[in-house]
Amino acid sequence: MTRTIALAAAVTLLGMAQGATAQDVAKGQDLFNHKCAACHQKTGLGVKGAFPALAGDPFVQGDPEPMVRTVLQGRGGMPTFAALLSEDQLADIISYVRQAWGNAAPAVDAAFVTQVKTSAHPQDKAPTVTH
Amino acid sequence: MPAMTELPGAGVTRRHFLEKAALLGGSAMVMTALNAWGAGIASMTSAPPALRGSGAGHKLLILGAGVAGMTAAYEMSKLGYQVTILEARAFAGGRCQTARKGFKLTELGGEEQECKFDEGLYINHGPWRIPFCHRSTLHYTKTFGIPLEVLVNENDASYARFDTVKGPLAGKRVRQFEVRADMRGYTSELVAKAATSGKLDTGLAKDDVELFVEYLRGEGYLESDLSYRGTEGRGYKVNPGAGIDDPGPGVPSTPYAFPDLVQSRLWRMVQSVGTFDQQHTMFQPVGGMDRIAKGFEKHVGHLIKYGAEVERIRQSDAGVTVDYLDTKTGKRGTLSADYCLCTIPVSVLRTIDADFSDAYKQAMALLAYDPVCKIGLQMKRRFWEEDDAIYGGHVYTDAPGINLISLPSSGWQSAKGVLLGYYMFGADATDMSGNTPAERAAIALDAGQRIFPQYKENFENAFSASWHLIQYNLGGWGNWSAEARKTAYPVLNKPDRRVYLAGEHISYIGGWQAGAIESAWHQIAQIHQRVAA
Repeated sequence: MTRTIALAAAVTLLGMAQGATAQDVAKGQDLFNHKCAACHQKTGLGVKGAFPALAGDPFVQGDPEPMVRTVLQGRGGMPTFAALLSEDQLADIISYVRQAWGNAAPAVDAAFVTQVKTSAHPQDKAPTVTH
Repeated sequence: MPAMTELPGAGVTRRHFLEKAALLGGSAMVMTALNAWGAGIASMTSAPPALRGSGAGHKLLILGAGVAGMTAAYEMSKLGYQVTILEARAFAGGRCQTARKGFKLTELGGEEQECKFDEGLYINHGPWRIPFCHRSTLHYTKTFGIPLEVLVNENDASYARFDTVKGPLAGKRVRQFEVRADMRGYTSELVAKAATSGKLDTGLAKDDVELFVEYLRGEGYLESDLSYRGTEGRGYKVNPGAGIDDPGPGVPSTPYAFPDLVQSRLWRMVQSVGTFDQQHTMFQPVGGMDRIAKGFEKHVGHLIKYGAEVERIRQSDAGVTVDYLDTKTGKRGTLSADYCLCTIPVSVLRTIDADFSDAYKQAMALLAYDPVCKIGLQMKRRFWEEDDAIYGGHVYTDAPGINLISLPSSGWQSAKGVLLGYYMFGADATDMSGNTPAERAAIALDAGQRIFPQYKENFENAFSASWHLIQYNLGGWGNWSAEARKTAYPVLNKPDRRVYLAGEHISYIGGWQAGAIESAWHQIAQIHQRVAA
């Protein structure tokens, strides 16, 4: 219980949106299906042993900061999306993911994405060269 | 290299020293020695380590029958090692694949494709180029008698079109030689005029400034007043021919305006020389890149257990034990060996149950893999040759998510051809792979149509690959960050007890077959040294 309160407090401090509009989530779904579903699948179930499931995932539904940071920075085989999508689009996608497939976590707004972005460092990779 | 030259004071021949160096320090030490003599080129190994002695009585288990795994199998079985390779796929080669009629690919996520190209046509959806400097790859094409042909990796006559730029050249299709000639011409003009008017501190003596200007005059095709006003190398409005006129001497072309060119950003194509591994001469095996896989397989195929998916890796003081699933029968098996060379991409290896040390696992976690996509488009007519006189080479476009269109360097002047419709990496690649194969082809066709009006009407069928969605690969190639290269890469170059890693990712030639080969050479030298000790 204490943990829930602490999380709620943190969430308020971080200026998270109190609930995304239906429009946001619909846009987010469309963007997710185009930008993310190749790996994570439209079902959010991922591919076992290759790409993590987002449906029912505690990380996805937890503290939004590390989740937003992962999308901005990239991780492992996942590229950085910081330059590819606007803060608005990222907020829509992340909100969708946090509420789709039975997930039930508060939405995230563009201001929060912008805030995390100020301290995000895209995954340090060598520039991709042609082979 | 004169192999028998005496080393000063050493009392051994150069070759003997190299062999000793290989036995003791592996190919890296050989290279160090060669470089010290000025005989090598840094980071290029041209032949397998000259290993002496015998590996008889020692078991080596290799995981993965890709280029790295088969290189090791070939060299180590020659030395007498008892070699077995476990390969998850039903065929050898790893990423060294070629898609031709009947080739099937099911991506993770369920998209199924069967290649429908006509007989004789193919796309190298994995590696497709062999640079002149990859002497290790060329060592085996020569050893196995694999015929090569030139891959046209630069074609000045080919097109470029950038749409997302400013100025009058935005959205205009140009020939690359026009841009190359004009950019270098104008640049030479500016420098030459500045240098001769004393406005530029060249740091050269007066006589040498004259020589420098002479160079610029040739480099940029400058007139006697040091102006650039075009050159025949940028093409003609009407090509010269026979007769007095029409065409007679032809009609010269007019250079683009300097500000227009600068705004167009087309200069992104212009570089003094290509990067080291993109220069002339670029090769490809005649008939498809998988000729290399077949070349190896001919020699080591009998050592390969196909359809064997590695499930578990365990080590003890005595050896390595690997459990695998026979994907055909569904039965499980176990193999043990004294040493294991694991060439499974780290993207996949880190999902396998293995008792690696925490440090090893942490190092593996730091290696990113690049998403990579390619598509082959079969065209019923080679319009780029017939209509546009473009024979091979690349077309540059800034159409979103395309990066590169490349024209085939085989089957010149034949009826049909398969061209590479896109080749891109990173988020562009994950984006593209989210589409169905039909949608991917449609996007590629839209982009190509902007360059060639003949594109869509000639299209017949397509085959696309998204390496991050391919089981047993999960990515095109490993991508070391500067930080991970310093911290994690050295860890993975060393064995975890009796397991050694090899593959393009365990090299500084990442994403190339040469990296796979040379990492295998490096690691087998380590194993053999340990066995011999």
